[in-house]
Amino acid sequence: MTDRIALEIKGLNFYYSGASQALKNINLTVYEKSVTALIGPSGCGKTTLLRCFNRMHDLYPEHRYEGEILFNGQNLLANGRDLINLRSRIGMVFQKPTPFPMSIFDNIAYGLKLKGIRKKSELEQRVENALKHAALWDEVKDKLADSAYDLSGGQQQRLVIARALAVEPEILLFDEPTSALDPISTSKIEELLTYLKNEITIIIVTHNMQQAARISDWTGFVMLGELIEFDATEKIFTSPSKKLTEDYVTGRFG
Amino acid sequence: MTHETKRKIEGFVALFLSTLAAFMGLFWLIFILGDVLINGMGALHLNFFLNDPTPAGVSGGGLRNAFVGQLMITAFATLIGVPIGVLGGTFLAEYARGKKLSQIISILADIMVSVPSIIVGTFIYALMIKPFGHFSGWAGAAALAIIMIPVVLRTTEDMLSLVPWTLREAAFALGAPYYKVIIQVVYRGAATGIFTGVLLSIARVAGETAPLLFTSFNNNFFSMNMNGPMPSLTVSIFQYAMGPYDDWHAQAWAASLVITLFILFITIGGRLLLKWRYKR
Repeated sequence: MTDRIALEIKGLNFYYSGASQALKNINLTVYEKSVTALIGPSGCGKTTLLRCFNRMHDLYPEHRYEGEILFNGQNLLANGRDLINLRSRIGMVFQKPTPFPMSIFDNIAYGLKLKGIRKKSELEQRVENALKHAALWDEVKDKLADSAYDLSGGQQQRLVIARALAVEPEILLFDEPTSALDPISTSKIEELLTYLKNEITIIIVTHNMQQAARISDWTGFVMLGELIEFDATEKIFTSPSKKLTEDYVTGRFG
Repeated sequence: MTHETKRKIEGFVALFLSTLAAFMGLFWLIFILGDVLINGMGALHLNFFLNDPTPAGVSGGGLRNAFVGQLMITAFATLIGVPIGVLGGTFLAEYARGKKLSQIISILADIMVSVPSIIVGTFIYALMIKPFGHFSGWAGAAALAIIMIPVVLRTTEDMLSLVPWTLREAAFALGAPYYKVIIQVVYRGAATGIFTGVLLSIARVAGETAPLLFTSFNNNFFSMNMNGPMPSLTVSIFQYAMGPYDDWHAQAWAASLVITLFILFITIGGRLLLKWRYKR
């Protein structure tokens, strides 16, 4: 775990259409090459917070941000920020697997083609690397031309992770990536995340507190749009400084 | 009578009436198809497809001109109508999703679907025939295209809306601009559905007579000139069926059979495609 900063969130407020404020004055530092988990009860705003980091909210014009998120020293919320470039550097994996309606190979190559890589040999090499990274290569190497829909749910989720990894992002955002998967697929993905943090920064939203405890280095507890506490995972789960956090991680509510 | 027997009788009556209604509908359908088949088979020989019409009373005539004319008019109608319909549906489902404008256009398109086709014919007549003073194949194609557009537009909109929103978000999250998301991901997901809609819209216009009567009219000679009057199967059926000669009547039956089979195959093909799509 290095102490270099990947993202620095300063005084972030977020509003869904009109007056409803979903995030209130969030201050948070995400460290490079570590796993940061965001936990909290349903509807608390943890997914909303995650979707600020790659500006997914921009798809909906009535949504509004205030504050700063520094990424390599620049505010990624600034107007005129190139979102296409930003999203290729900060990737995202969703709750339900989202394979595209195309072959396994084309799924992984999709992001690469967006980046302008056209050479067949380079595409093949990069697709293979990405699939190996996501621990899926051995299972699919003989059927790269098959539809991605033929894979199981767990395989699809690893395919989507491989697709995100192929464009070589600096940060990967995970929005409850295992909540639709069985325990075996879940443990495979958890293993994968632990391995990936050697190379990239990972931020994961999870409902599952054991999961946060197992795989993350840092944990933030979010409730009602506020970041109640942020600290090293061990501290959050053993001796949190706030009463609310303690009540939540010991299962007294949520 | 006990309550129970009363219920049983009610149930029996409901079953009887709905079965009767279903068979009434089926009866006429089978009657028409059977009649067309029996009467059409007689005149259906190779010359019917290879020869042009002969002067009244001279035997051996066919409807080659009408087949070619019908295919050309329908093909150009498809070339005009499908891109407009697909792009319009894309606008409604993607760029104007959830906006008031989108809902208004959707409702208007639904109304357009049920506008009597003869009104479309007279509309094109006023727009493309009257000013130039002669009938034309282009006008026929335009009239059919106008009938196709709302059908294709609504199917496209529905099929695109079925593609999960998260799929688009996943493509955005890789850094794709919206037009690439639509073309490379959303269209792929909806391709079979849109293609089915296109097939069904072709089936819909291939049987139209009224809009062609006012626009492409008819031509007893072989013509591939879209600027002049063009023959079509449906208008030929109309003309031959109204005519006084037995030979014409037989050919009208045969033409009816051919166009019925054509539409039947397109429709069945479309349904099979849809079924295949949902199985996956």
